Amino acid sequence: MSILDYHYGDSYIHRMDPRVKMILLILLTIVVFMISNFYVLLAMFALVMLVWKTANLPLKNIIGYMKFLLSLVAFLIVLQGLFFSSGSNPIILVHPIIPESVPVIGGHGTVYLDGILFGLILGFRLLTLVCIMPIFVMTTTIGETALGLVKLGMNYKYAYMTTTALNLIPTLQDEARVVMDAQKMRGFQVFETGKFMEKMRAYSTLVVPLVVGAMRRAQLMGVAMEARAFGVKKTRTYRDELNMRKIDLAAGVLVAFICVGMVYFNGLLGGWY
Amino acid sequence: MGTIIEAKEFSYCYPRRDNQVLKDLNFSIEEGEFIAIMGRNGAGKSTLCQALDGVIPHLHGGTVWGDIIVDGLNTQEVEVADMAQKIGIVLEDPEAQLFTTRVDDEMAFGIENLCLPREEIIKRIAWATKVVRLEGYSDREPTALSGGQKQRCAIAATLAMKPKIMVLDEPTSQLDPIGTYEVFDVIKSLKEEYGMTILITTHKSEHIAQYADRIMVMEEGKIVAFDTPQVIFRDARLLSHVAVRPPQVSSLAGYLNSNGQNIKREDFPILVEEAEEMIRSLMGGKKDGQ
Repeated sequence: MSILDYHYGDSYIHRMDPRVKMILLILLTIVVFMISNFYVLLAMFALVMLVWKTANLPLKNIIGYMKFLLSLVAFLIVLQGLFFSSGSNPIILVHPIIPESVPVIGGHGTVYLDGILFGLILGFRLLTLVCIMPIFVMTTTIGETALGLVKLGMNYKYAYMTTTALNLIPTLQDEARVVMDAQKMRGFQVFETGKFMEKMRAYSTLVVPLVVGAMRRAQLMGVAMEARAFGVKKTRTYRDELNMRKIDLAAGVLVAFICVGMVYFNGLLGGWY
Repeated sequence: MGTIIEAKEFSYCYPRRDNQVLKDLNFSIEEGEFIAIMGRNGAGKSTLCQALDGVIPHLHGGTVWGDIIVDGLNTQEVEVADMAQKIGIVLEDPEAQLFTTRVDDEMAFGIENLCLPREEIIKRIAWATKVVRLEGYSDREPTALSGGQKQRCAIAATLAMKPKIMVLDEPTSQLDPIGTYEVFDVIKSLKEEYGMTILITTHKSEHIAQYADRIMVMEEGKIVAFDTPQVIFRDARLLSHVAVRPPQVSSLAGYLNSNGQNIKREDFPILVEEAEEMIRSLMGGKKDGQ
């Protein structure tokens, strides 16, 4: 089960007007980038997790990604801790461990506290962002997304182009799995046991069938869409109607208010770097 | 009932190739006919299907000679999307042609493109759902359906646009026997209850013997025979030449002949009922094997 696939359900988030969801998605993304205080970011993360819970989405879907991201966060902390360069007067935690006399790398090895904090913020920001996007995709059907985009003023052809492309991602993930399984069945074990470089090289064997398959599928899909009169008229009608309910508006305003609050507290508490 | 599809000296060559995949096709199909297109893989069956609704040459390019007239429209002059209201096409791959996340969204897609009013869209979805017997599956994800259900969903999506002609390109090649039966059952009702003209490419001889009015046999881009199943399935030389398998009951008659029986070619059965009659008469007209 992908985190970029529609997840069948009947929660409030599922029923929410896609336009509100779309605007909130953009708003939350921007705000996450604006927050640089760790505590406020943590509050934001908690808010996103609360929405996951409200939408009744299975957390296990994202946990696999979390593991990968946490290692990325650790990597960012180390990297920033060692090589932090911005900021006028960074607090030095550990003085250079490599003496100046060593050629080339001499004088390096300083660990900056500011760098560690910056890495932490950067990593957590990434983590939060990764958790925001699936909420929209998992609770909104392709049709709703397209309709939402159209009602927000987008040309329906572009709206469908965007949504079909989004829809192709889980399909490609599935196909990658099929190709990898086929390789495994013929005794190809590089993805499990290979060294890093071997793995990298092995990915090329995956990419070729995947790209060829995707192109073939896209072409067939194009034929199928044309064969059902896509693009025959300048506008089109819709079976589904969007009605912005009062509760949707209220929820939108509430989240927007929380966002403003977070930005305010971020300023009040001060950024960490 | 008049002619609904007419091909006049139609030939086609794919872009960047120099051999014609369709050669000098001349045929006409009457309204309400059930036509099966048979022949080995690569004979040009799928290409012909795509030529009928204008995907060839509009989407694939290539060179075209001659004309195909579908319900008064020349496929070369009319865009595919406009043609969609006359002729509906169902493709072989059930996955690639379903691109929405709900069964009823799938059915709505085509009719929404035609700018029908909302009430009509809802009415037509309900109708198409009933015809293909997918009631209760409206909110399912198309990819989660069985093969037969997927194909029926694809048929419904096309059907909702109420085309006069339905072209089905190998709709059952990836299906199990039950799925195949379900799909043919739906196609049969399209012809019998709604008077649609059906063109289908398939290798399933038994089903064709049962439902088709005429069989178009293709070989290397040409039409080598175009006649009733009775004539086609009894022509052993033609069938072996084009690698089309006759219905099993016809093969049985041939087998009996090679083992000393003397059944006339024109009496070869193509349906199970006819085979029953043949066997009874071979046994001397006695019932229950007495």
